[in-house]
Amino acid sequence: MFRLQGSKVLAVDMTGDAVKAKNGSMVAYDGEMAFKKLSGGGEGIRGMVTRRLTGEQMTVMEVKGHGTCWFADRASEINLVTLQGDKLYVESSNFLAADAGLRTGTTFTGARGAAQGNGLFTTTLEGHGQAAIMSDGPAVVLRVSAQYPLTVDPGAYVAHQGNLRQSFQSGVTFRTLYGEGGGEAFQIRFEGDGLVYVQPSERNTIAGDV
Amino acid sequence: MAFRELNSKMIEATVAPGQRLFSQRGAMLAYRGEVSFTPNLTGGQGGVMSMIGRRVANEDTPLMTVEGSGTVLFGHGGHHVQVINLSGDTLYVEADRLLAFEGTLRQATVFLGAQGGVMGMVRGQVSGQGLFTTSLSGHGAVAVMAHGGVFEVPITAQRPVHVDPQAYVAHHGDVRNRLSTALGWRDMVGRGSGEAFQLELSGNGTVYVQASEEKL
Repeated sequence: MFRLQGSKVLAVDMTGDAVKAKNGSMVAYDGEMAFKKLSGGGEGIRGMVTRRLTGEQMTVMEVKGHGTCWFADRASEINLVTLQGDKLYVESSNFLAADAGLRTGTTFTGARGAAQGNGLFTTTLEGHGQAAIMSDGPAVVLRVSAQYPLTVDPGAYVAHQGNLRQSFQSGVTFRTLYGEGGGEAFQIRFEGDGLVYVQPSERNTIAGDV
Repeated sequence: MAFRELNSKMIEATVAPGQRLFSQRGAMLAYRGEVSFTPNLTGGQGGVMSMIGRRVANEDTPLMTVEGSGTVLFGHGGHHVQVINLSGDTLYVEADRLLAFEGTLRQATVFLGAQGGVMGMVRGQVSGQGLFTTSLSGHGAVAVMAHGGVFEVPITAQRPVHVDPQAYVAHHGDVRNRLSTALGWRDMVGRGSGEAFQLELSGNGTVYVQASEEKL
């Protein structure tokens, strides 16, 4: 029911079911739709408190109705992700829409978040269904397997799914301290089995400056 | 066809003697052949009275007349460009979204209040469109700018379409529009879904929507 119209518009066909989407991201619809803001990402009082405390704010609305609804946000590229019982980790700023059946939550990411400039927490989506995530430029999906770990620039990381361990590595040498660094002082390393979404653009991070 | 899309952000226009094009001033990127660009004081067609009309209506985007023989490339601000071909019907579009249009089209300024009365005026204010909009009618091609690409949504009598006023680009055909509000108590307490105002378009035609909520 999620389909892409071009690379920047998400069309969702609905027959009485509901989706969660970023607040204000509807650009057009036909048929009958109702929009309702979900406080705390629709995770109840507990989610509301957690999101306040962790700073992983996500303003989400519930869209329900019959017809087709189109979503887009500031001309960002959109990627569709299908979840079959596994977990998707995505920055709340990259989240566009998901089936209402997917559970959302927050998890601790450790030092990676600080280097990304996104805070220490990230949003998770879990269950069976589809989700749409946004990236600055078309994202590539890179597979990580036991033999092939992957290292990613924190500013270009968008999301990941599957059974992955992440560790933070720094390439800070004496050159960095002299201001002669290559601009790649921090990286995130993924090991295990899963998929990583990487965008062809880098957010402003502390790591990019050194 | 006078306009050819080179890529998503640039068009190539062919000018021949005796044919005129209007384009936004400064939107020429390159040209081949003998082409002259004349700033258009009256800001479009229709002489001095139309000029005054446009000034009053704040729909007076600076235009230039392109004449001669050759090809011209147009593009502006890295915005996506969509070419819309008109065959006898009328396109409604904001003047500042117009990149170029053929001289065969009739240009006019439309008072939004005439379409839907007081709500029409409110709609103009909410969507940041002002109280007036530009209409182009006749046979010819129009190049319209939008942020992040455009998609078309057909409007049929059974299926009215609702559009976010910020994402609305243009529409053509026999379409009535009105502002519908979904304001509820949630919006009053700052818990709105960000979709309180919508443009409801009904009738028969097409609406062009951009993939972004940013105005140009």
